[in-house]
Amino acid sequence: MSALLRSLRDGRGFDVALAALALAYLLVFSAFPLVYNVAMSFQEVDMFSLGDLIRPFVGLANYRALFAAPEFWSIMGNTALFVSLSIVFQLAIGFGLALFFQQDFVGATYLRGLFLAAWIIPALVAGAIWKWIFAGDFGVLNYMLMSTGIVNDKIFWLSTPAISLYSVIIANIWLGIPFNMILLSVGLAGIPKDMYEAAALDGAGPWGRFWHMTLPMMRSTLGAVTCLGVIFTLQQFDLFASLTQGGPANSSNVAQYWSWQLSFQNYDIATGSAVSVLMLGFVIVVALLYVRSTRQEHRA
Amino acid sequence: MKRYVLLVVAIGFLAIYLFPLYWMYLTAFKPSSETFTYPPSFWPADPQFNFVRVFIDKKMDVYLWNSLVVACGTTVIAALIGTGCAYALARVRSVWMDLVLFLILMMQVLPPSLMATPIFVLFNQIGLIATPRFAVVLAQTAKVLPLYIVLCRTSFMQIPKELEEAARVDGASRIVAFFRIIVPLARNGILVTSVLIFLQSFGEYVYSRTLISQEDLQTATVGLMNFMGPNTTDWNGIMTYAVIYVTPIVIVFMLLQRKIVSGLTAGALK
Repeated sequence: MSALLRSLRDGRGFDVALAALALAYLLVFSAFPLVYNVAMSFQEVDMFSLGDLIRPFVGLANYRALFAAPEFWSIMGNTALFVSLSIVFQLAIGFGLALFFQQDFVGATYLRGLFLAAWIIPALVAGAIWKWIFAGDFGVLNYMLMSTGIVNDKIFWLSTPAISLYSVIIANIWLGIPFNMILLSVGLAGIPKDMYEAAALDGAGPWGRFWHMTLPMMRSTLGAVTCLGVIFTLQQFDLFASLTQGGPANSSNVAQYWSWQLSFQNYDIATGSAVSVLMLGFVIVVALLYVRSTRQEHRA
Repeated sequence: MKRYVLLVVAIGFLAIYLFPLYWMYLTAFKPSSETFTYPPSFWPADPQFNFVRVFIDKKMDVYLWNSLVVACGTTVIAALIGTGCAYALARVRSVWMDLVLFLILMMQVLPPSLMATPIFVLFNQIGLIATPRFAVVLAQTAKVLPLYIVLCRTSFMQIPKELEEAARVDGASRIVAFFRIIVPLARNGILVTSVLIFLQSFGEYVYSRTLISQEDLQTATVGLMNFMGPNTTDWNGIMTYAVIYVTPIVIVFMLLQRKIVSGLTAGALK
């Protein structure tokens, strides 16, 4: 006993105890709910059995109900579109800005950091601002588009089923740009300057240098940032809540919002947890890819 | 010359990018008659100061206090639990510690809106729902703790091992060395990470919306959602609310911008 105490106070046990404390917290409040969630998705859970410890086991019935739901495939399609479009544009714009701010001029680092002001504000507030910008009759976006002659009629960004998802995507791209830019800047800063000088001496133009040096050198960073993008995009909930609430008629609904809606607005907790299990499984696979890509970077 | 052109272009990019924030401030200062004019004005002709009225009407003191409670609680628990773990992960290199780090990274990626369902049912069963703000703090801590650990770990890794070894030679135990030598040396990193966690938790929405049912315990994000409602037209009021809520966050961010950015960039990709 005293040996254990001494080890805790003054030896190996000290590190183990410190790491175990945080790990235990996460196991209780993250890992256990995760497992519990999987169990619930095989049970019948409603408002009456909510407090019970043992609920009727229904096998795959929740999943069958889920796949049979008329909105299932369209919502999954929306999720895929939301994630892929958000990431493509966040990456492209973020990369462009990172390259721009990589140049040497006064205040480059400071101005680049200011972009993060959009990232630090609560996403729900960003959603409120965008809802006002998107407003059909008095929204500033419609005014700008019409006064520059890009469109002739007012667009009802949030209430037109064919457009509503793209409106949320636009707001989400806006939110994600600074984070992508900062991470890509770190990658760019890691490319040795003399490589560029050598390439310039060999007569490589700016495009040649970009395609044959910057992009290949950035491959692992781009991979990591893409994985992080998928992870963060699937965490986006607040924008849906504030902009469209998945509507109209599920046209802008995505899996992570739908799962919450099923559980807390339709009180269909079993189906909500089934959606949740599917998406969590997907996120964990992406996270594994992310950890792998950062590992490779370490070795390189 | 070229450098000044670049500076101007950079400011241009920033201005375009931050236009939504400008629009928020502008709308908050406009009288409602000016808000609904077409074409819209880009500078308030007759600036209004509705901040006190909105603050009182929308009971923002209650909402902001609840957000503050959630953010403080989360930051304190995350710092208490996470700092030691970050240190252990930075100091010990072994297969086991790699596994712990891996598990922590995995828990970082779980979307709160998907975790809300099991956490709600679980907390309901063990009676935590009776103290809803504490429930939100526990759930939110589980969300931000991995980020806290990962970011703090990088600042612990920058402390040379020799400093701790010197203290040990002088007879200090591990605990004394940790509190007297290591933590003070890493205090900048710990502080910046804590501020970041605090700001994130100050804007928390999913768990507050899910776990808190009493109106007077709800956070500022939920208050803003209630204000927005389905058919609202009071955009002046909403933007005024947003300005009151966001301005302190933006100010803290501006003051610590450099440190937050460098902390993020050091930790995020490792």
